[in-house]
Amino acid sequence: MDDKQNANPTILSLSDLPSRRRESNVKRRDDGATGLFDDLIPQYSYLNDPFEQPLSSSDSDDGSVEDIDEQEVYDLISSISDPEHPLSLGSLAVVNLPDIHIQPPSSPHSSISTVLVEITPTITHCSLATVIGLGVRVRLEQALPPRFRVDVRIKKGTHSTDEAVNKQLGDKERVAAALENGTLMGVLRKMLSTCE
Amino acid sequence: MSDIQQFLLDYDRNKREASQVAQKSATRLADGDLKLLMLIEELGEYFNSEDGAVRSKAMAYLAEVLGFVPPKVLSLQQRNLLCDFILSRTEDGEGIGSCAKALLALEERGKWDNGRVQDIMETLLANTSPLRQYKQQSERYPVLRLIDALLARYRDALRTLHDSKPDFLSRFIAYFDGEKDPRNLMVVFSILRVPMTEWDVGADAQDLFDAVFNYFPITFRPPPDDPYGITAQDLKDRLRECISSTADFAPYAFPALLDKLDSTSMNTKRDVLHTIISSVKEYGPRTVSLYSITLWDALKFEILNVQEEDLAEEALDGLAAIAQTLSQGTNGPLNAYLRPIIKECNEHLEDAPTKQSQAAARILSRIANVSPDVTNLLLAGILPTMFTLFQSADNMAKRRGLLEVLVQLIKANIDVYGDWRSTGSAGAAAPNNALSQYRDQALDIVLHGLETSPINNVSYRLVCADGLLQLSKVRELLNEDDIGKIIQLLHAIVIHEESFGKDEIKESAINSLVEIAHQKPQVVIDKAFPAFMAQLPDTDEGSKGHVAVLEAFAKLASEEKVFDTVILRLKNKFSAAVSQNASSGYIVALLSAILYALTKGSSKLEQDPNTSTYYQDIVLPLLKRTSSTDGSHPVAFDNETTLDLVGRICNIVVRSQSAEKQEEIASELYTLFRNTPQAELPPFSISAPLETHRTMIVSTHLLASFRKETRLPCEIELLVSSLANYTQQPDLSISVRSVSLRQLSLVINKFYSAAALKTCMDPLMNAPFELFSPEKLDPPRIRIIFACLKGILLRSSPVLAKLYPQLLGFLSHQKYGTVIAHGFSTLLQPDDLLTKQNHCQISGLHKQKSFALLVPNITQAFRDASTETRPNYLIALSGILRWLPFDIVIEEVPSLILLLLQSLDLKGEDFVKEAAIGTLASTLREKPEVVQEHAGSLISRLLANSVVNKESPSPARVRAAACRCLMLVPDKLKLEVVLPYRRQVCKKLTAALDDGKREVRSAAVRCRARWLDVDEAGDDD
Repeated sequence: MDDKQNANPTILSLSDLPSRRRESNVKRRDDGATGLFDDLIPQYSYLNDPFEQPLSSSDSDDGSVEDIDEQEVYDLISSISDPEHPLSLGSLAVVNLPDIHIQPPSSPHSSISTVLVEITPTITHCSLATVIGLGVRVRLEQALPPRFRVDVRIKKGTHSTDEAVNKQLGDKERVAAALENGTLMGVLRKMLSTCE
Repeated sequence: MSDIQQFLLDYDRNKREASQVAQKSATRLADGDLKLLMLIEELGEYFNSEDGAVRSKAMAYLAEVLGFVPPKVLSLQQRNLLCDFILSRTEDGEGIGSCAKALLALEERGKWDNGRVQDIMETLLANTSPLRQYKQQSERYPVLRLIDALLARYRDALRTLHDSKPDFLSRFIAYFDGEKDPRNLMVVFSILRVPMTEWDVGADAQDLFDAVFNYFPITFRPPPDDPYGITAQDLKDRLRECISSTADFAPYAFPALLDKLDSTSMNTKRDVLHTIISSVKEYGPRTVSLYSITLWDALKFEILNVQEEDLAEEALDGLAAIAQTLSQGTNGPLNAYLRPIIKECNEHLEDAPTKQSQAAARILSRIANVSPDVTNLLLAGILPTMFTLFQSADNMAKRRGLLEVLVQLIKANIDVYGDWRSTGSAGAAAPNNALSQYRDQALDIVLHGLETSPINNVSYRLVCADGLLQLSKVRELLNEDDIGKIIQLLHAIVIHEESFGKDEIKESAINSLVEIAHQKPQVVIDKAFPAFMAQLPDTDEGSKGHVAVLEAFAKLASEEKVFDTVILRLKNKFSAAVSQNASSGYIVALLSAILYALTKGSSKLEQDPNTSTYYQDIVLPLLKRTSSTDGSHPVAFDNETTLDLVGRICNIVVRSQSAEKQEEIASELYTLFRNTPQAELPPFSISAPLETHRTMIVSTHLLASFRKETRLPCEIELLVSSLANYTQQPDLSISVRSVSLRQLSLVINKFYSAAALKTCMDPLMNAPFELFSPEKLDPPRIRIIFACLKGILLRSSPVLAKLYPQLLGFLSHQKYGTVIAHGFSTLLQPDDLLTKQNHCQISGLHKQKSFALLVPNITQAFRDASTETRPNYLIALSGILRWLPFDIVIEEVPSLILLLLQSLDLKGEDFVKEAAIGTLASTLREKPEVVQEHAGSLISRLLANSVVNKESPSPARVRAAACRCLMLVPDKLKLEVVLPYRRQVCKKLTAALDDGKREVRSAAVRCRARWLDVDEAGDDD
């Protein structure tokens, strides 16, 4: 691993990566306040009178469903480590939010959705692109419910042999065979070990 | 049998008995029963024995006897004779260790002269070199101890030996050659360090260096249960001290170390870097200047191509250490060292932001704060290029990368030159700061960057804002006009800029203002305060932007230099708003801002006895407005939340005042300066008009602020019984009832003496009230019981032992058992009024006490309870556990585990489940062996709670907590216990991956990933 193919990749700042934290933590208020004064009166003293509320389980469960969206898929894979650098795929811009697409079920009778992830290698001749693609694929297959079909590709025009790599990544049997390979699994495990 | 015969017999059988024999001989010597001559004569036969072992044991006997002889028994002449004799015995290959011990014992009984010491040293070198010929560690060790002692106590003698005999040092070095035992090596290193640091080693430097460097790197690993307690680290430390001991080693040390830096072993590299750092620190500027560039060339690779983060850190420390050492010398070598660094960093900065430009930034920022010379040279070398690069940069990311380096350099500059309030590491008499040459350009770039770049360029603008803050802090850099400009820009962002994203820029701007206020309070007051005030109308016309401005303004109060001014302006604004009939929303916002500001400055209030102005200006008017019914009473004050704010503002001001001062208000605690007699007001009068009930909120906060010496406006028994009656009124609002109950807790906690506390509940328990009568039990009375207990338990009163059993008895109550059970969670729940700041009496061990009185009884009663009442015990248990730190629970956990597991089966009791999962998770972390045998039922119950169950849906919080707890299981339990469940867990958790809530999904993903790893972890072992 000493002969790095790209020893000096460009790195994005963490604060520039897309993140859900950004929006959801701050519920925008109509008065422009940030909620600084909200904790002045501690909540538990009044609300949590155990005699008053015979335990409704409704507090955070308003029944609304939060669907799996592109950002969630991004969060699952952006923290995978690059096999060459101790950096995440997100900060190397190998995976990008706009390149993740979730296609809803094609007919109302089917429940199968498809996740399409296009990865961008840091350089066009990166021989590790297949490994990275495999890592993304394994991660998503482990982390998404079975009703999702996972499709990982190299983004068009970003790799010298993108079609060949795509073929490899799309071939179920070759993927399965690759996962039997102990060395390769070792590399993958190391990549996935930084996932949050 | 003579002593020596006895000794020889015992020696192989029992060392301790042999020692006793030697001790006996020593005593006889001291008492005069045995003459030294006799002793030696008796020994003669054995010293001449054919058998080496016997000769050796004879010497051991002599050494032990000498070790036991009390001081002053042996005369100088005797000691000299013995010394000569023992030295002559070193010709014999046997018993060398004992010889050394005997010599040491003699030395302890009388100082030697220099000649004697030199003689001993020379004889040892002549007769016993090299020391490795003695195979036993125990033989060599005393010799090393002896030489160590000689070096410690007779330095001059040995040094003279070295000065007068040119070949002495080489013989001395060769003597220790080949030592391998770690215990001995520790001594050898410390012996060799003396010539290294103190002698003129001349031509022997390389030999001396090799003598220790041969051991580098130390790979020693102590055996398990090592009795000697020598670690590899001890050896490494001593070896490193040796290598760094003298600059004479530099020609050998640096090449050898750099050679080993190429090693593939991380541990070796770590050692090399440590050693380089200490060598650089010790060798001095002249020597280091010869190697500085070589070192830079080698060390930079560790930073530019990070292998291990800590190695990069060490390498950075190394670079900084070189700069530090060179700063002590003349400027030439420092310049020569920094020049290639500047050149290389400038090259990397050209293509920022990349991995290597980040590394360059790290290098610069780590070196720059070393000394004024370094920071000035770096600024002169880096900034001009950086400004050019900045101007020609074609994208924001690059500009941001460059500015980050600028900010780092300014921060380093502050470390050296200090900020406006304190001088930096260079002290007051530092040379000129080179940053002042680049001041205008730097200020221009960051000011312009923050002002003109689009608001969606968050990370870029954040860096600019940081740059402005740092520039404004540098000691004597900017003038007040420039700082004023910065302040203006910052408050304009806070006040006028439209909101974007997470508003990080606004937050950073206001935080920067607070920090600048710390440096330059008056400038902030002059420039920013009027701008804030202009945004706050006296009366609002429904516009809402002012809350954000108020929030920002209140934050400024956390800087003590402007605290008073902030409070003053807010107070004036509040008075104006009330007199102009502003909206309730605005008034509440102003009150919130005042409370927030006071909270931030509460430490100042406590130190400053002069808070009475706040009492006059803030508390009194607020109290009067609260109780008034005429035009001065704002409509907002009819709202319970507003009154809560008012109460808290008063509390924070009053609580730090003296008891005498507090009594002025204490008499008005319930009347609040209105003309109604106290008896006609709550809690004394139940039939009082509706609006008077609300003021109980303010009264409670006032009562909370009183010291326990402060006199209450009525008899305490009357107050307690009135409150008890009052809280039972059915038409009280929830908050009024809640504060009245807390008033009850406060009164009991603060104002009863320890003796009176024991009987304080008697009036309530006796007829006619009969609080504990099972027939009269109802929810209002249950609340009173818990409120009273809460006040008592914080004081750990002995009366709890009487009260708790009655309470536990109610858990089986037919009608209200479940209500009582839920009440247990209020007992130890933290409360923001019952606190030390509010002068409450809180015993440090109250949680332990309640735990000990309650939990064992609950587990006991649970076993005997009927099926219908059993859940009550589980609920009560979790109510207690959820507020306890785990270290209190840990000892009892084995008896609780079954109850906790059963709690997970309860239906609809989500808080109970959550608390149980929390305790189980803590148990897994701290005491996993307790859970081991219940692994199966734990795993299946956690699984059941982590997926949505149609019959009894548990909330997302519980599902996520179950997933998180389940994730701990494979980490904490043994592999063979966990492995059988892997399939089941991974399969069932697939359902949780499709949970409706993101929080649960993310916990499930992590948990499942951990479990998928389970068998693979097994392969590694």
